[in-house]
Amino acid sequence: MTLRPASQNVPTAAKLAAVHQQLAAIVVGKEAPLKLALACLLARGHLLIEDIPGVGKSTLAHALAATLGLRYSRIQFTSDLLPADVLGVSVFDERAQAFRFHPGPVFNSVVLADEINRAPPKTQSALLEAMEERQVSLDGQTRKLPEPFFVIATQNPTEQIGAYPLPESQLDRFLMAIEIGYPDPGAERELLSGGDRRAKIAEMPALADPPTLAEWQREAGSVHVAPALLDYVQALLAASRGAGGADAGARRGLSPRAGLMLLAAARAHALVAARPMVLPEDVQAVFPAVAGHRLAGGARAGALQAQALVRAVPLP
Amino acid sequence: MKLPRLRRKGPPAAPLTSTQSGWLGAAILAAQLPQALHVPIWIAVLGCALVALRLWLASRDRARPGASVARIPSWALVIFAVAIAALLRASYGYLLGRDPSVAFLYVLVGVKFLESRTVRDGTLLVCLAAFLAITPFLFGQSPLAAAAALPALLLLGATLAALAARTPLAVAAAAPRRAVAQAGAMMLQGLPIALLLFVLFPRIAGPLWGVPQGARATTGLSDTMSPGMIAELTQEDSVALRADFAGAPPPPAQRYWRGPVMSRFDGRTWSASFVRPDGGLPTAGVRSVEYTITLEPNDRPWLFALELPSALPEMSTDTSPGDVVVSRDRQLVARRPVGQVLRYRQRSQLADSHPALPRDAMENLRLPPEANPRTRALAAQLRERHADDAAYVEAVLAHFRDNPFTYTLAPGTIHARDPVDGFLFESRRGFCEHYASAFAVLLRAAGIPARVVTGYQGGEFNRRGNYLIVRQSDAHAWVEAIVDGQWRRFDPTGAVSPLRIESGISGALPDALELPLFARLDAGFLKDAQLLFDALNHAWRRNVVGFDATRQRDVWRWLRLDPALPGQAVGAIAIAGAAWMGVVLGWLAWRRGRRERSAVLWSEVCARLARAGLPREAHEGPLAYTTRASRRWPDYAIAFGAIGEAYARLRYASVPAREREALLATLKRAVEVLPAPVALRGGA
Repeated sequence: MTLRPASQNVPTAAKLAAVHQQLAAIVVGKEAPLKLALACLLARGHLLIEDIPGVGKSTLAHALAATLGLRYSRIQFTSDLLPADVLGVSVFDERAQAFRFHPGPVFNSVVLADEINRAPPKTQSALLEAMEERQVSLDGQTRKLPEPFFVIATQNPTEQIGAYPLPESQLDRFLMAIEIGYPDPGAERELLSGGDRRAKIAEMPALADPPTLAEWQREAGSVHVAPALLDYVQALLAASRGAGGADAGARRGLSPRAGLMLLAAARAHALVAARPMVLPEDVQAVFPAVAGHRLAGGARAGALQAQALVRAVPLP
Repeated sequence: MKLPRLRRKGPPAAPLTSTQSGWLGAAILAAQLPQALHVPIWIAVLGCALVALRLWLASRDRARPGASVARIPSWALVIFAVAIAALLRASYGYLLGRDPSVAFLYVLVGVKFLESRTVRDGTLLVCLAAFLAITPFLFGQSPLAAAAALPALLLLGATLAALAARTPLAVAAAAPRRAVAQAGAMMLQGLPIALLLFVLFPRIAGPLWGVPQGARATTGLSDTMSPGMIAELTQEDSVALRADFAGAPPPPAQRYWRGPVMSRFDGRTWSASFVRPDGGLPTAGVRSVEYTITLEPNDRPWLFALELPSALPEMSTDTSPGDVVVSRDRQLVARRPVGQVLRYRQRSQLADSHPALPRDAMENLRLPPEANPRTRALAAQLRERHADDAAYVEAVLAHFRDNPFTYTLAPGTIHARDPVDGFLFESRRGFCEHYASAFAVLLRAAGIPARVVTGYQGGEFNRRGNYLIVRQSDAHAWVEAIVDGQWRRFDPTGAVSPLRIESGISGALPDALELPLFARLDAGFLKDAQLLFDALNHAWRRNVVGFDATRQRDVWRWLRLDPALPGQAVGAIAIAGAAWMGVVLGWLAWRRGRRERSAVLWSEVCARLARAGLPREAHEGPLAYTTRASRRWPDYAIAFGAIGEAYARLRYASVPAREREALLATLKRAVEVLPAPVALRGGA
């Protein structure tokens, strides 16, 4: 059920519902990850998906870009990938007698960085820095990345041989880390019986454009947060740091920045749910995705820890 | 002896956040601005610049989070403050006094802001700024000054709220408008207590600060009168006095406010004689009026009253200029100059004559022997024709009426050696002092004792507050002469320009543009607004600034409190203050109770569902719980939905007060719809 949204949110809520519906038709049976991915985008964060190949990561990224009318590119990370392959390169133009910049795949609004842990750290950090700064500095020149700029990186948690796992400080660059997981039998049946996903994506109409998305992002930032909710968020943060005897085995506590990100993600989630205010439910919905990879190295382990934390902290 | 160390132990002081610094800066600027007019311009600019510098440094630090924070070392600031003190000493010539001290405080607040780093510093700074915010009242206590202090007061309150917020999240959550509204609400709650203290708390008679206010230059009548002096005074539209009458004020022609009386003449200048306190008071007659005068400070010991004062003034302010006597010239004179606003009740008899005292005739005949020969000749000529004193006076007045004399503010240059001759025979253009002087000289030359009386004539009736405003521009001079053993009032100006007496100076002068704006009649709505403001100002003077120990004792008596036992008043304050605090706290508790009625209803729902076998988990939010309940008891899904939605909105949304009531009602109705736990258990 949904709450009656505030009047100024009505068009946004309706449009977001349409976006969600269209995505759900492609990424079948994955309501929760879809909502989280959408909230992550609306909160101007980046998304890390940890899962095995073939569960629909690139379908999700591609469908998101197509539905929102954003330019999409995909980078397959390999062990010999160089920073220039991601960012772009300046080539000497004989005729013009000057260097000309060829922008790399990162100059797109939705970038899927597939198997990011396969590339050497230098290339990884080139992408991660671009994510943080939302600009690329090459040859002493700074180039702005498109707005909005949304990176979906994937990593395969099972095959770790010959891989360079992301260090914790780099994980912090991602607003959320989620798993997609296997579809349930009904959804899988629909998937198997349905036609070609790629063709379907190509046919999908764009329901938004970058300015609209920027407006939504602004709206997400202004969703009301009540003092009672701040109390709850602070209680969660305190519990993650092991205060009040609610230590759920956290290896390290959540930073104030993690708290701000949690609020931003919860606001975006409330907007997706067409609510004019943030509820504890929103915080709880995004908490495993936002806090998991910050509390523990992996999305799965962290998410379990985060869920335990949520259960341990009563609503104030 | 070893002194205990006073250093506080405990965690390091909390640093100021940028939001808190912003609040502090705004509050300090608001406290500085009303004072900026009273300090030298370089101080005004410097003080504000220091605050701006700190805010600029803070914004630069914010823009570059990684960079080293710009700090101005404390020792440099101390040297700076000492240098400012030295500069102030040099520019004023002294340092311990109102003006340089206020200027120093003005800059010091900026200096302290530059070096403030912790919340503790911030609290101290709020105290300093609050002190700065009251300093304008050392210069003037007008309603405008009070209004100008309000923004600073509100911002200081909001700053305190921002400083009290413990966590950065809480600081960020407090929107500026809300913080100001909260500060305002708290001030309104404190207002009755402030009023109580204002009215009842025992006052010290006299000004609190003991600051001499006489340093101000004031304009007004003088104890000498030479040609051109009153005309110059007419350019001032500042108020000389205000008078409240019990009934209707006397007609304009009888509004002669008696001031200094001049008996000595040197051929050009009239001057007042020594004050001899042996004047009598006429016994109250039929045409007696009572009124209250609010006299602006004039740095002279004179109190004004309508002719003739029939009683000594009754002071209704603490600030008294000492004993008042009636001088031999029938003028009210105090022991000390009037340096502060003075209020007194006064009774007068509207008479234009009074008996002469034995030696008066002798003292008011002297003329310098050589001066103004042509005037003497005219007097002799007229005297030959009119042996009777009264007839002679009439003839002189007729002389003014029948010859082409002009009443004007700009008489032009008049013969320097014999000004009366120059006026009477050459220019024939003059202002009241010329007419009064020439008239008195003509009378003395004919052997009739005469003297010049200065003061104010007329006054503007302010319908808004039912009182008369007498301005410096109403300054006037007229003549008294002894005819038939009585001092009689003659106004030669009235012979030339009757309008001056009937409708005031603006009616008498053809070219009104020479007059100050507010003394004119034709200023229209501006005039109206000015009268309204003057009425407000007058009421403020009377009731707020003028509320002193004397008036306070009246209030005590009215409340049956013993003025001799100030402890009783303090007790009354304590009781009334406690009662008011009880009211406010009770109201807050009642409102919180109303706000938390939703919480009461919600916990009732939780308790009932728990008894029905579906307890809420500690971390479960309202929507999650009611959704779960709807799934368990689909028959009541609508009620559960309504409960969840209403409670979630009440607790987590920003809902206007009107909607809040409606939501509460919805929640209540939905809870009533739910069946008893036993029925639910059975129905599941």
